[in-house]
Amino acid sequence: MQLAITPTGIETLPAWLAWLFPMIGALLTPIFAKINPKVRNYGAILFSFLAALMTMMLIPLLFAVEELPKWEILHWIELGEFPVLSEINFGVLVDPLSIIMANVVAVISFLIMVYSLGYMKGDKSLTRYWFFMNFFIGNMLLLVLSENFIQFLFGWEGVGLCSYGLIGFWYKDAKEDYNKCWVGEPPEAYPPSHCGMKAFITTRIGDISLLLGILIIVAFTGTLSFMELMEGVEHLPHEFMWVLVPAAILLFGGPIGKSAQLPLMEWLPDAMAGPTTVSALIHAATMVKAGVYLVGRVFPIMYVASMFYPEMGSFFYVIAWIGVITAFVAGTQAVASNEIKKVLAYSTVSQLGYMMLALGVAGTTLEFIVGYTAGVFHVMSHAIFKAALFLAAGAVIHAVESRFLHHMGGIRKEMPITFWSMVITAFSLMGVPIIFSGFWSKDLILESTLLAGQPIMFTLAAITAAITAFYSVRMLSLTFMGKKSKHIHELEHEGHHIHESPKVMWVPYSLLAAATLIFGVLGFGGFGGWLEHTFEDYLSKLPGMEHSAMTLAPAEATMSHELAVLITIGASLTVLAIGAFTAYRIYIKRSPDPVKLVNSRPTLKSLWTFLYRRWYANAFSYKVFVYPTISFSKWALKYIELGGIDRFNYVVADAAKGFSSRFRRTHTGILNYNILGIIVGFILLMTIMYVVLVG
Amino acid sequence: MILEDNGFILMQSIVVPAAFSVVALALGKRLRAKTGWIAFIALLYSSILLGYSQWLLFSVPELEAIQASYTWLPDISLPFGSLSLGNFTLRADGLSAPIVLIIAILCTLISIYSIKYMEHEHALGQYFSLYLLYASGMIGTVLVTNLAAFFLFFELMLIPSWALIGVWGTGLREKIAFKYFMFTEAGALSLLAGIVATSFIAKTFDIFEISQGMTGVAIGVQVALVVVMLLGLFVKMAIFPLHTWLPDAHAEAPTPISALLSPAMIGIGGYAVIRIVYTGFPEVVAAQTPQFMLILSFLALITMTYGGYMALAQDDIKRLLAFSSISQMGYMLFGIASVSTIGVVGAVLLYVSHGLSKAVLFMVSGVLIHDFKTRSVRELGGLGPKMPYTAVATLIGFLGLMGFPYIIGFWAELYVFTGSMYTALQGFSHLIEPNAIRVLITALAIVASVLTASYGLWTVRRVFYGQPTERTRDAKEGSMIMLVPIMVLAALALILGIYPSLVATGTTRFISELLSKLVLVV
Repeated sequence: MQLAITPTGIETLPAWLAWLFPMIGALLTPIFAKINPKVRNYGAILFSFLAALMTMMLIPLLFAVEELPKWEILHWIELGEFPVLSEINFGVLVDPLSIIMANVVAVISFLIMVYSLGYMKGDKSLTRYWFFMNFFIGNMLLLVLSENFIQFLFGWEGVGLCSYGLIGFWYKDAKEDYNKCWVGEPPEAYPPSHCGMKAFITTRIGDISLLLGILIIVAFTGTLSFMELMEGVEHLPHEFMWVLVPAAILLFGGPIGKSAQLPLMEWLPDAMAGPTTVSALIHAATMVKAGVYLVGRVFPIMYVASMFYPEMGSFFYVIAWIGVITAFVAGTQAVASNEIKKVLAYSTVSQLGYMMLALGVAGTTLEFIVGYTAGVFHVMSHAIFKAALFLAAGAVIHAVESRFLHHMGGIRKEMPITFWSMVITAFSLMGVPIIFSGFWSKDLILESTLLAGQPIMFTLAAITAAITAFYSVRMLSLTFMGKKSKHIHELEHEGHHIHESPKVMWVPYSLLAAATLIFGVLGFGGFGGWLEHTFEDYLSKLPGMEHSAMTLAPAEATMSHELAVLITIGASLTVLAIGAFTAYRIYIKRSPDPVKLVNSRPTLKSLWTFLYRRWYANAFSYKVFVYPTISFSKWALKYIELGGIDRFNYVVADAAKGFSSRFRRTHTGILNYNILGIIVGFILLMTIMYVVLVG
Repeated sequence: MILEDNGFILMQSIVVPAAFSVVALALGKRLRAKTGWIAFIALLYSSILLGYSQWLLFSVPELEAIQASYTWLPDISLPFGSLSLGNFTLRADGLSAPIVLIIAILCTLISIYSIKYMEHEHALGQYFSLYLLYASGMIGTVLVTNLAAFFLFFELMLIPSWALIGVWGTGLREKIAFKYFMFTEAGALSLLAGIVATSFIAKTFDIFEISQGMTGVAIGVQVALVVVMLLGLFVKMAIFPLHTWLPDAHAEAPTPISALLSPAMIGIGGYAVIRIVYTGFPEVVAAQTPQFMLILSFLALITMTYGGYMALAQDDIKRLLAFSSISQMGYMLFGIASVSTIGVVGAVLLYVSHGLSKAVLFMVSGVLIHDFKTRSVRELGGLGPKMPYTAVATLIGFLGLMGFPYIIGFWAELYVFTGSMYTALQGFSHLIEPNAIRVLITALAIVASVLTASYGLWTVRRVFYGQPTERTRDAKEGSMIMLVPIMVLAALALILGIYPSLVATGTTRFISELLSKLVLVV
């Protein structure tokens, strides 16, 4: 089946405006700031609202899947006679994936912008803040709605820059702010500016791999456009197919960096040095999902390729394994973290791993639709509950003026709305059944691993679910339950009483908490099934997909759907109960008391240290990559540059000088010597002439 | 279509700055720092003329070049035959027009910047006089297609810059200027040897006629000629290991001159490689010696990596930028050695992007030196909130070097790497086979770009983040007269980043023409 660019006119206009509005808003921020701070603040929020409005206007298209995809391109750059590619275009691509993703991004962004009004109140650098926030939203929507890889890279790098700028937002790195905006504890305590740089450089390592992948794909397929790739992949000569395997795996390097998967995951926990709004928006709800989105974007292309070239399956196995291992590792690290935001950050990494797992296993099976839907569904539900968790955590940090869990405790009475919002969203994260959206999406992921016939991945994912339940309860109880910490008593002594956050802050996160319930109820009412159908309808008519299982033979799945669902529900309820109950005993009932428990058993103690030191992965990357690079450069400067090449130049120069100064001595100016020289020279010349001419 | 330059546009753009250098010298005593405005007016005039020619090339699709030919010296009779120096031809085409325009723009803006930066210096009449001659030399070098004249202009940019470093520089300025002179002069002489030998063999000095004159000449001889000339140009480009003059010269030159040496001048070496090697010696590029280009890529890889590592180890901000320039020249050479349209266009874009970004960065370093009297990064810190415009400009500069989208540097690196990767994987027509080593080199080059990000962001962090140091406690934003040129360049980098076609269209047309001829050679 051929896809043609349909003249879409007015229908794609919202897709253009969705990312243009925030960009314009970002550019106007400095100008508004000259008028009045109020104009600047509300102006920024207005533009993010317009973006949300525009993306919502795309939602009706989800109910008319037969008309999708719609895309529209403008010519951007002529490449002349370059053999494979004559121009680079600029456009928008509207399909179910981009509509869903754009709505997640824009709506959550708008809520977080509103929350920012309260959270960032009184900060001196708000112009910079609003600029980067709006620029971020614009880039994120550009990325989501982009039609080709180059445009995608603009958004991709753009959000990276905003992430960098906002992590290091509190640029002062002051020791007084240690409780507020540093991250980690010695020996792994980092100031914000360090974390921003770390995030940018680490993700850039992934981007290099991404760029390599793109370059290889362009060289062999001659197109950068997602839709043209989709169309062309089945016609690719078979001898070129093998190239797609390394290209796709290299392409996955980008998501590894951006979505903080192993081995590039350590930047995300440290990114918590930024303001909490930034952590919520960029490092939980949206930017880190860009990697998952990219995998989802190229998924149909690679899937079609895998039908013609089965080795392509290794791409999906790589994704699935990296995903599930990351989910497990990050989950365990969350258990031992002492900072509320860092717990949430590890949890984000872990959940991103789940999404990767879902998309990965989807590609290995004929019935990819379950896994694919699971991945996208989890993107949605995670974006909602994790944004709410972060915003609520921000309210807590604001109240107790510290990022450490041991500075909190016993504040549920003072902050009831925050407490309940956090409980609801944490339950969603844990996957508490029926009315929490996280339950449905996570179960779908577990189910898809079973359907793909991957019992090891299933087990690992289930264990991770237990760990998730454990750290969620731990975080909740350390934050809200038990006795008030010494720190809070000190604050109260100084006259700072803990109180509920202002309305402008609690409304956004309670709305998000409500949304997670709504999606939970919708999930009960078959939202997952509807999503599955939407994707199925859409994907099945993409070129090349007619060869897939959906339209060909009846599914030859390893087990029946019903059985998979049963096993999944059983397993997920069991692990939830185990994880949550253990945490409940330890952290709420305090029998056994966590501190005593760890101190009394040496193995537990060393396990705890191992987890607390982040599996030593962070220390390892500094020891092996960062410090050696710097010391090598210092060494090379000393011994190669100055001691070698430059020294050599001076040796040459000195030799010339020495020779000339010695030679000069023969020019004494004494007549006798000169005449002697003339005579000797004359004789020598004569001899040579004699030898040459006669001999 | 070639447009005859009847209005003397190109000639004027060279002659006017040269003529005004006399005016500057005459009025220098009276006007002192204000002499800079004379330089500004002269160079602005050149920029407008060259901007107009670039605009023509962009907007008229069938226009190939704007060209003017003038009879030069009469033929010289020598005992063994007559030697013709040929016509003195100036040519603005897809290759030279963007480069010369960037040179003119940089010279124009930096002349304003100089007014403030140099205000307390002595002999400013002489300074601006030499400055104008230097600018004229650079513009001439790029526009002229006659190799004899090329050499003269090449020297014209060397001598004034030597004097500028030696008189107004810092530190061991005489020694450094001497080192600079000796290195680049040695390179220039090597180039001269190549030029003379070429002209004897090909019986012409005009770059566009060499390839015709070279038909039938053994490939070995051609390779030897190219190698001799490349040696000279590589010194100018500061390719490893011929680079050691550069960090010294760039660091000790007065900062406005550093901001010309690095972004504008050294890249001319790269420009000349494209012009001379691709136009004059297509056989060397194409047929029998694809290995030759492979060696160039390898040299480029070493240069970019080495420059990056060295930049990482620097504490002196100007030295850091100098090593970063070496690294960037590696990228430029990498594009040139890619033997693909996109790669070579990428090299031109890289010249443009490096020109803009590095000029911004050197000028920023000048602001810092001017305000805080130190070049040590360690002694700076916490400047972000106090100097927001400077901070933004620096970030744009470094992001441009890193190849960040929205800035022209992204396109430069994307083009360079796409071109190189394409040739590596698919070969070039029937001339170059796909080659695994090339793929590896390209991959390593892309990996090396992490170094750029590292030293760039690290510098930004050390200078603009954190707590103010003793020196920077009372920092204020730099003066407008220094900031405006910086802002203009940064804005230009952004505009070209969003719409690179302004530069790329004409260049792409020209280079694809050039490379399609390559296929016909063999």
